[in-house]
Amino acid sequence: MIVLELDPVEVQLLRELIAQYEELVTTSEVDPALERLFPTAYTDDADAAAEFAQYTRESLIDIKTANSGAVAAALEADHVVRLSEEDAEHWLPVLTDLRLVLADRLDIRTDDDPVPDDGLGDIYDWLGELQSTLIEALDGPP
Amino acid sequence: MVVVAQLVERWLVVPEVAGSSPVIHPNVVDLAFQAMNVSSTVTESEIDLSEQSRVAPDVPWATTVWNDPVNLMSYVTHVFRAYFGYPKPEAERLMLRVHEEGRAIVATGPREEMERHTEAMHEYGLWATVTRAPA
Repeated sequence: MIVLELDPVEVQLLRELIAQYEELVTTSEVDPALERLFPTAYTDDADAAAEFAQYTRESLIDIKTANSGAVAAALEADHVVRLSEEDAEHWLPVLTDLRLVLADRLDIRTDDDPVPDDGLGDIYDWLGELQSTLIEALDGPP
Repeated sequence: MVVVAQLVERWLVVPEVAGSSPVIHPNVVDLAFQAMNVSSTVTESEIDLSEQSRVAPDVPWATTVWNDPVNLMSYVTHVFRAYFGYPKPEAERLMLRVHEEGRAIVATGPREEMERHTEAMHEYGLWATVTRAPA
Protein backbone atom coordinates (compact mmCIF):
# COMPACT_ATOMS: atom_id res chain seq x y z
CA MET A 1 0.00 0.00 0.00
CA ILE A 2 1.26 3.43 -0.95
CA VAL A 3 0.05 6.45 0.93
CA LEU A 4 0.25 9.62 -1.10
CA GLU A 5 -0.19 12.75 0.93
CA LEU A 6 -1.03 15.59 -1.38
CA ASP A 7 -1.56 19.20 -0.57
CA PRO A 8 -5.17 20.24 -1.27
CA VAL A 9 -3.91 22.65 -3.92
CA GLU A 10 -2.12 19.75 -5.59
CA VAL A 11 -5.33 17.72 -5.55
CA GLN A 12 -7.16 20.62 -7.15
CA LEU A 13 -4.44 20.97 -9.76
CA LEU A 14 -4.49 17.28 -10.66
CA ARG A 15 -8.26 17.25 -10.94
CA GLU A 16 -8.20 20.28 -13.19
CA LEU A 17 -5.46 18.78 -15.37
CA ILE A 18 -7.35 15.48 -15.63
CA ALA A 19 -10.58 17.21 -16.62
CA GLN A 20 -8.72 19.00 -19.40
CA TYR A 21 -6.91 15.80 -20.35
CA GLU A 22 -10.17 13.89 -20.72
CA GLU A 23 -11.56 16.69 -22.85
CA LEU A 24 -8.46 16.56 -25.03
CA VAL A 25 -8.26 12.79 -25.59
CA THR A 26 -11.92 12.57 -26.54
CA THR A 27 -12.02 15.62 -28.82
CA SER A 28 -12.43 15.28 -32.54
CA GLU A 29 -10.51 18.47 -33.07
CA VAL A 30 -6.97 18.54 -34.38
CA ASP A 31 -4.38 19.12 -31.69
CA PRO A 32 -0.65 18.52 -32.03
CA ALA A 33 -0.52 16.91 -28.57
CA LEU A 34 -2.84 14.18 -29.84
CA GLU A 35 -0.21 13.13 -32.33
CA ARG A 36 1.95 12.16 -29.38
CA LEU A 37 -0.83 10.63 -27.25
CA PHE A 38 -1.90 8.55 -30.24
CA PRO A 39 1.32 8.28 -32.20
CA THR A 40 1.73 6.67 -35.56
CA ALA A 41 2.55 2.97 -35.45
CA TYR A 42 4.09 2.86 -38.92
CA THR A 43 6.46 5.58 -40.05
CA ASP A 44 7.01 4.11 -43.50
CA ASP A 45 3.55 2.83 -44.43
CA ALA A 46 0.75 5.38 -44.41
CA ASP A 47 -1.95 2.83 -45.16
CA ALA A 48 -0.89 0.55 -42.34
CA ALA A 49 -0.62 3.57 -40.02
CA ALA A 50 -4.16 4.67 -40.87
CA GLU A 51 -5.49 1.17 -40.40
CA PHE A 52 -3.75 0.79 -37.05
CA ALA A 53 -5.15 4.13 -35.90
CA GLN A 54 -8.64 3.16 -37.05
CA TYR A 55 -8.61 -0.08 -35.10
CA THR A 56 -6.88 1.10 -31.94
CA ARG A 57 -8.01 4.69 -31.35
CA GLU A 58 -11.24 3.87 -29.56
CA SER A 59 -9.73 1.30 -27.24
CA LEU A 60 -6.79 3.59 -26.51
CA ILE A 61 -9.21 6.38 -25.60
CA ASP A 62 -11.12 3.94 -23.38
CA ILE A 63 -7.98 2.87 -21.54
CA LYS A 64 -6.62 6.38 -21.16
CA THR A 65 -9.91 7.71 -19.80
CA ALA A 66 -10.30 4.67 -17.53
CA ASN A 67 -6.87 5.42 -16.08
CA SER A 68 -7.60 9.11 -15.64
CA GLY A 69 -11.00 8.27 -14.19
CA ALA A 70 -9.33 6.06 -11.60
CA VAL A 71 -7.00 8.89 -10.62
CA ALA A 72 -9.86 11.37 -10.44
CA ALA A 73 -11.90 8.98 -8.30
CA ALA A 74 -9.00 8.49 -5.90
CA LEU A 75 -8.71 12.26 -5.57
CA GLU A 76 -12.41 12.64 -4.78
CA ALA A 77 -12.26 11.27 -1.30
CA ASP A 78 -9.30 12.80 0.43
CA HIS A 79 -6.02 14.56 -0.17
CA VAL A 80 -4.37 11.58 1.50
CA VAL A 81 -4.61 8.94 -1.20
CA ARG A 82 -4.11 5.25 -0.48
CA LEU A 83 -3.04 3.27 -3.50
CA SER A 84 -2.49 -0.41 -4.05
CA GLU A 85 0.24 -1.30 -6.53
CA GLU A 86 -2.49 -1.96 -9.08
CA ASP A 87 -3.99 1.46 -8.40
CA ALA A 88 -0.61 3.09 -8.89
CA GLU A 89 -0.29 1.43 -12.30
CA HIS A 90 -3.28 3.53 -13.40
CA TRP A 91 -1.56 6.70 -12.21
CA LEU A 92 1.74 6.30 -14.02
CA PRO A 93 0.44 6.47 -17.62
CA VAL A 94 -1.80 9.42 -16.72
CA LEU A 95 1.15 11.34 -15.31
CA THR A 96 3.16 10.54 -18.44
CA ASP A 97 0.35 11.64 -20.74
CA LEU A 98 -0.12 14.90 -18.83
CA ARG A 99 3.60 15.57 -19.23
CA LEU A 100 3.45 14.73 -22.94
CA VAL A 101 0.69 17.31 -23.39
CA LEU A 102 2.56 19.91 -21.35
CA ALA A 103 5.76 19.18 -23.29
CA ASP A 104 3.88 20.05 -26.46
CA ARG A 105 2.58 23.30 -24.95
CA LEU A 106 6.04 24.11 -23.58
CA ASP A 107 7.74 23.29 -26.88
CA ILE A 108 9.89 20.60 -25.27
CA ARG A 109 10.69 18.51 -28.33
CA THR A 110 14.27 17.44 -27.78
CA ASP A 111 16.49 16.87 -24.79
CA ASP A 112 18.12 20.22 -25.53
CA ASP A 113 14.89 22.13 -25.01
CA PRO A 114 14.82 23.59 -21.49
CA VAL A 115 11.83 23.38 -19.20
CA PRO A 116 10.63 26.98 -19.02
CA ASP A 117 11.01 28.62 -15.64
CA ASP A 118 7.35 29.46 -15.29
CA GLY A 119 4.15 28.08 -13.84
CA LEU A 120 3.53 25.53 -16.54
CA GLY A 121 7.16 24.43 -16.43
CA ASP A 122 6.82 23.98 -12.67
CA ILE A 123 3.78 21.78 -13.19
CA TYR A 124 5.65 19.72 -15.77
CA ASP A 125 8.48 19.14 -13.32
CA TRP A 126 6.12 18.47 -10.44
CA LEU A 127 4.26 15.78 -12.39
CA GLY A 128 7.60 14.15 -13.16
CA GLU A 129 8.61 14.22 -9.52
CA LEU A 130 5.29 12.70 -8.50
CA GLN A 131 5.66 9.96 -11.08
CA SER A 132 9.24 9.31 -10.08
CA THR A 133 8.24 9.05 -6.43
CA LEU A 134 5.50 6.56 -7.22
CA ILE A 135 7.85 4.44 -9.33
CA GLU A 136 10.36 4.35 -6.51
CA ALA A 137 7.62 3.29 -4.12
CA LEU A 138 6.69 0.47 -6.51
CA ASP A 139 10.09 -0.65 -7.71
CA GLY A 140 12.46 0.47 -5.00
CA PRO A 141 15.36 2.86 -5.42
CA PRO A 142 16.92 3.05 -8.88
CA MET B 1 -3.97 24.40 -19.01
CA VAL B 2 -4.06 26.02 -15.64
CA VAL B 3 -1.02 27.80 -14.37
CA VAL B 4 -0.02 27.46 -10.77
CA ALA B 5 2.99 29.55 -10.07
CA GLN B 6 4.45 27.77 -7.13
CA LEU B 7 4.05 24.19 -6.18
CA VAL B 8 5.79 22.97 -3.15
CA GLU B 9 6.88 19.36 -3.09
CA ARG B 10 4.80 18.26 -0.17
CA TRP B 11 3.76 14.78 -0.91
CA LEU B 12 5.13 11.88 0.95
CA VAL B 13 5.13 8.37 -0.23
CA VAL B 14 5.03 6.02 2.68
CA PRO B 15 5.09 2.28 2.19
CA GLU B 16 2.79 0.88 4.82
CA VAL B 17 4.30 -2.04 6.66
CA ALA B 18 2.23 -3.66 9.32
CA GLY B 19 3.70 -3.32 12.76
CA SER B 20 6.45 -0.96 11.77
CA SER B 21 6.81 2.75 11.63
CA PRO B 22 6.23 4.25 8.24
CA VAL B 23 9.36 5.23 6.42
CA ILE B 24 9.22 8.51 4.63
CA HIS B 25 10.98 8.39 1.36
CA PRO B 26 12.70 11.57 0.33
CA ASN B 27 11.61 13.04 -2.91
CA VAL B 28 13.76 12.08 -5.80
CA VAL B 29 13.67 15.34 -7.60
CA ASP B 30 16.72 14.71 -9.71
CA LEU B 31 15.11 11.81 -11.50
CA ALA B 32 12.57 14.16 -12.97
CA PHE B 33 15.35 15.80 -14.88
CA GLN B 34 16.73 12.61 -16.33
CA ALA B 35 14.53 13.06 -19.32
CA MET B 36 15.31 11.13 -22.36
CA ASN B 37 16.82 12.33 -25.57
CA VAL B 38 14.77 12.53 -28.67
CA SER B 39 15.87 11.55 -32.10
CA SER B 40 12.97 12.76 -34.11
CA THR B 41 15.18 13.33 -37.09
CA VAL B 42 15.97 9.67 -37.36
CA THR B 43 13.57 7.81 -39.58
CA GLU B 44 13.01 4.12 -39.66
CA SER B 45 14.63 3.79 -43.03
CA GLU B 46 17.88 5.15 -41.63
CA ILE B 47 18.17 2.56 -38.94
CA ASP B 48 20.53 -0.30 -39.27
CA LEU B 49 18.33 -2.84 -37.59
CA SER B 50 21.06 -5.43 -37.79
CA GLU B 51 22.54 -3.73 -34.75
CA GLN B 52 19.51 -4.46 -32.68
CA SER B 53 19.18 -7.31 -30.29
CA ARG B 54 16.32 -9.58 -29.25
CA VAL B 55 15.87 -10.76 -32.78
CA ALA B 56 14.85 -14.34 -33.17
CA PRO B 57 15.15 -16.09 -36.52
CA ASP B 58 12.11 -16.44 -38.74
CA VAL B 59 10.19 -13.62 -37.11
CA PRO B 60 9.65 -10.88 -39.64
CA TRP B 61 8.13 -8.18 -37.44
CA ALA B 62 9.32 -6.14 -34.50
CA THR B 63 8.10 -3.62 -31.94
CA THR B 64 10.46 -0.66 -31.73
CA VAL B 65 10.31 1.83 -28.86
CA TRP B 66 11.59 5.33 -29.59
CA ASN B 67 13.28 7.84 -27.37
CA ASP B 68 11.50 11.02 -26.29
CA PRO B 69 12.44 14.02 -24.13
CA VAL B 70 9.60 13.50 -21.66
CA ASN B 71 9.54 10.01 -20.23
CA LEU B 72 11.70 9.25 -17.24
CA MET B 73 14.27 6.51 -17.51
CA SER B 74 12.76 4.86 -14.44
CA TYR B 75 9.34 4.88 -16.08
CA VAL B 76 10.56 3.29 -19.30
CA THR B 77 12.28 0.57 -17.27
CA HIS B 78 9.12 0.12 -15.22
CA VAL B 79 6.99 -0.32 -18.35
CA PHE B 80 9.36 -2.90 -19.83
CA ARG B 81 9.22 -4.85 -16.59
CA ALA B 82 5.49 -4.50 -15.98
CA TYR B 83 4.28 -5.15 -19.51
CA PHE B 84 6.83 -7.52 -21.01
CA GLY B 85 7.83 -9.12 -17.74
CA TYR B 86 11.51 -8.58 -18.44
CA PRO B 87 13.83 -9.00 -15.49
CA LYS B 88 15.16 -5.69 -14.18
CA PRO B 89 18.62 -5.98 -15.80
CA GLU B 90 17.11 -6.69 -19.21
CA ALA B 91 14.54 -3.91 -18.84
CA GLU B 92 17.31 -1.48 -17.90
CA ARG B 93 19.47 -2.63 -20.81
CA LEU B 94 16.65 -1.98 -23.26
CA MET B 95 15.82 1.35 -21.63
CA LEU B 96 19.45 2.45 -21.97
CA ARG B 97 19.47 1.38 -25.60
CA VAL B 98 16.41 3.53 -26.22
CA HIS B 99 18.02 6.38 -24.33
CA GLU B 100 21.44 6.21 -25.93
CA GLU B 101 20.66 5.01 -29.44
CA GLY B 102 17.28 6.63 -29.90
CA ARG B 103 15.30 3.42 -30.24
CA ALA B 104 15.33 -0.24 -29.40
CA ILE B 105 13.58 -3.33 -30.59
CA VAL B 106 11.77 -4.66 -27.54
CA ALA B 107 10.02 -7.64 -29.10
CA THR B 108 9.90 -9.64 -32.30
CA GLY B 109 7.27 -12.00 -33.62
CA PRO B 110 4.13 -12.17 -35.71
CA ARG B 111 2.78 -8.87 -36.99
CA GLU B 112 -0.47 -8.97 -35.01
CA GLU B 113 1.40 -9.59 -31.80
CA MET B 114 3.78 -6.71 -32.54
CA GLU B 115 0.77 -4.46 -33.15
CA ARG B 116 -0.68 -5.47 -29.80
CA HIS B 117 2.63 -4.62 -28.11
CA THR B 118 2.76 -1.30 -29.95
CA GLU B 119 -0.76 -0.43 -28.87
CA ALA B 120 0.15 -1.33 -25.29
CA MET B 121 3.17 0.98 -25.42
CA HIS B 122 0.86 3.77 -26.59
CA GLU B 123 -1.37 3.03 -23.60
CA TYR B 124 1.67 3.67 -21.43
CA GLY B 125 2.56 6.88 -23.28
CA LEU B 126 5.66 5.46 -24.95
CA TRP B 127 6.06 5.87 -28.69
CA ALA B 128 6.40 2.52 -30.37
CA THR B 129 6.18 1.47 -33.99
CA VAL B 130 5.75 -1.76 -35.86
CA THR B 131 8.72 -2.48 -38.06
CA ARG B 132 10.11 -5.24 -40.16
CA ALA B 133 12.49 -7.28 -38.08
CA PRO B 134 16.02 -7.52 -39.42
CA ALA B 135 16.76 -10.59 -41.43
